[in-house]
Amino acid sequence: MGKLRQIFEPSAVVEDETELLVYECDGLPLFKNRPDVVVFPQRTEQVAQVVRLANEYRIPFLPRGAGTGLSGGALAVEGGIVIELQRMNRILSIDVENRVAVVQPGVVNLHISQAAAPHGLYYAPDPSSQMSCSIGGNVAENSGGPHCLKYGMTTNHILAIEAVTATGEIIRLGNPAGEPVGMDLVGVIVGSEGTFAIVTEITIRLLPKPQAVKTLLAAFHSVEECSQTVSDVIAAGIVPSALEFVDAKTIEAVEASVYKAGYPQDAVAALLIEVDGFREGLEETSTAIVEICRRNRAYDVRVAKDDDERAKLWLGRKGAFGAMGRLAPDMITMDAVIPRTRLPEVLVAIDRMSERYGLGVANVFHAGDGNLHPLILFDSRHSDQVDKIFGMSEEIMKLCVGVGGSLSGEHGIGYEKKDFMDLVFTDPDLQTMMRVKQVFNPAGLLNPDKIFPSRRGCTEVGKHTTTSTAEIGKRVESILLGSPEKVQR
Amino acid sequence: MRPQSVQELAEFLAREKGAVVPLGARTQTFFGNPLRRADCAVDLTALSRITEYVPADLTVHVEAGVTLEQLEHTLLENNQFLPLDPWNGPAATIGGIAAANAQGPFRAVGTIRDWIIGMKVVEIDGRISKAGGRVVKNVTGYDLHKLYTGSLGSLAIIVEISLKLRSKFARTATAIARFPDMQTVADGIAAVRKSGLQPVACEWVGPEHELWLRFGEDLRAVDWQLQNLPPVAAWKVTEGADEAAAWERLRSMYSSFGPVVVRAVGLPTTVREIIQEYRPGAWIAHALNGIVLMQITSPDEIGRIRQKYRAVIEKAPVEVRRQFPTFGLNEAEYDVMKKMKDAFDPEGRLNPGRHVDGERK
Repeated sequence: MGKLRQIFEPSAVVEDETELLVYECDGLPLFKNRPDVVVFPQRTEQVAQVVRLANEYRIPFLPRGAGTGLSGGALAVEGGIVIELQRMNRILSIDVENRVAVVQPGVVNLHISQAAAPHGLYYAPDPSSQMSCSIGGNVAENSGGPHCLKYGMTTNHILAIEAVTATGEIIRLGNPAGEPVGMDLVGVIVGSEGTFAIVTEITIRLLPKPQAVKTLLAAFHSVEECSQTVSDVIAAGIVPSALEFVDAKTIEAVEASVYKAGYPQDAVAALLIEVDGFREGLEETSTAIVEICRRNRAYDVRVAKDDDERAKLWLGRKGAFGAMGRLAPDMITMDAVIPRTRLPEVLVAIDRMSERYGLGVANVFHAGDGNLHPLILFDSRHSDQVDKIFGMSEEIMKLCVGVGGSLSGEHGIGYEKKDFMDLVFTDPDLQTMMRVKQVFNPAGLLNPDKIFPSRRGCTEVGKHTTTSTAEIGKRVESILLGSPEKVQR
Repeated sequence: MRPQSVQELAEFLAREKGAVVPLGARTQTFFGNPLRRADCAVDLTALSRITEYVPADLTVHVEAGVTLEQLEHTLLENNQFLPLDPWNGPAATIGGIAAANAQGPFRAVGTIRDWIIGMKVVEIDGRISKAGGRVVKNVTGYDLHKLYTGSLGSLAIIVEISLKLRSKFARTATAIARFPDMQTVADGIAAVRKSGLQPVACEWVGPEHELWLRFGEDLRAVDWQLQNLPPVAAWKVTEGADEAAAWERLRSMYSSFGPVVVRAVGLPTTVREIIQEYRPGAWIAHALNGIVLMQITSPDEIGRIRQKYRAVIEKAPVEVRRQFPTFGLNEAEYDVMKKMKDAFDPEGRLNPGRHVDGERK
């Protein structure tokens, strides 16, 4: 019997070529490569065993959660083994008094808040994919979401982890108080995009649900007025829990879809603004925001009267990506960040680019923290359009970096943006990052070919590479079928 | 050596072959394992420029030698602040606060790790490298600034830091009450936890059994919280200059703790147990975070505390620090941190012995 079968029961190993198609990409279908085998561990020990086996046979491997990532982080670039963590999906404990939960990586983000709700608690980071994305994937990517503006990213809510190292040891880092002792190792593993370790258990912070929430929608006739409102709200010292920008194209798509939210269809741009906190004082804050909107010539400002209206306003925002199918068969989601004061000029430049490339762009993004999501619309059946989107996305990234921004606010670099890393980082910057990677992932077998640019010869010293995918396939076959040879180091 | 620029420091380090000790305002030289060797100290206080401040972006970029006081002063012009009040006070440098991950009572909105968005360092061979950026939300590249935070300058010398900021609270107020004994104060904290109040600091000060609650929000939210203080004690509320003076008093009280002070890390629900079991002479507990700063009666208590809890030696005479490791790392932590140290500083010339390389006695 093969060595993989000694670790996993038959139903936890997928090697059939057709079934493997599901795992050939994540939420970024632009890049595809089929892994050689997918395994479904249910226990940490199984993860450690398969990692040790992969090391023994020099087979690349990578973790995968719900596969909703948007940067190709779960792409098996060199084939090898995908360690699918969806079956490790138990909420192990909720400590109400200490506001701490312990969960397995396959737990769906939203399920945590649902389980905590009866205790008046919730888990704050809320990526748009929160109904399906897994907490393990959130930890890998340091995921964001609209409410990160006030409450911070995933990294601000992870207190401790159990992880399997790239060499197959089980380690525990951090503590339930979230108090780093020595260097902040948990902090550096969160957001390492599955290249440092495979997280197998996560201790997270829960927050008490705010006493009250106010959600409002303001419609504008110009992008400038809309952007100015963003700056003015922040300048007024208000800390909204969310401040989201939606443009005309997005409104068009949303209103034609099942996510119809009643957004004003003649608006050039609209803001979805939410404030939460103590009931006392919230009304005044909300009134102050309405005034700022009006001062910037918002022509329609609606304050949601109840939870149903709130939910409807959010439905349009959270369903915007899904609704884009109304406008074009394919799209890619950019994720650049800019200083929020540079919003107007960057949006104008993207608009001009859209005309020049002849590709539609919808803008729906986290305006409060300057995290843009230009959605470039295209049709993958036309190969010239596919070429164009690569050119256009590169131009957008250069534009954003040029005004002091960065490549990614919450989706990660993954495979998609790795060749743009040198727009932001110098060789010494990247070499230092590579050095840290090599401490965690010395053989480079864990999730290879991510984050670091390949085009400029930023080589991974000590990396196994140059192994052909055919050779990797052969090695996987030997652990599946049980042929004897180990690979010499 | 007192570099006037990052470049000067980089050139110096490229030449220097001895053991290098970075220094800020020297407010916490008593923290960490004892230095094994020091050939050259690098005084970073001349790197004291606030190089970029964009109030509308709520971001600031500073050199490591900028003091907290200097930064606060600049931010105040725009009614903004960095919500930190480390025990080592306003004279501490931002670089030093980050290197030591220094903290104070005011931690409901996080510690410095939660506010740093980018960092530039000079490595032992003189190379300059950076991580993160200048935008408030960013997942581009590894968060190496998290690794440097709390590394006590043992991996690389922090020279520049980008921070996100927040608007100053419209109002702050502090309610203080004295309780007769351990039981009543623990009940008081439990009542606060269940009350819906969200203090930005909640300190159990002993042995007097005082409870200090600080609120910071908009005007009405602070009002509401003051009106809804749990009726378990006679609260005395202070605001404005009196409030500032009260917290300054607490800070000097903490400064007078000693000679051995330990930070025990538990959970909110184990704070009382920690105090009861180890009977410190004096303590300040961040009660809602599960952290107790204790003036312990004998250094031998350190070992006893570590049998049950994580504990960091915050302050101790050098003889004690020679005997007991500062962090008390577990095997996994030690292993990763040691490898990290060796990767950054293979010859062990940067702050030798002060961090992980001084942990195994």
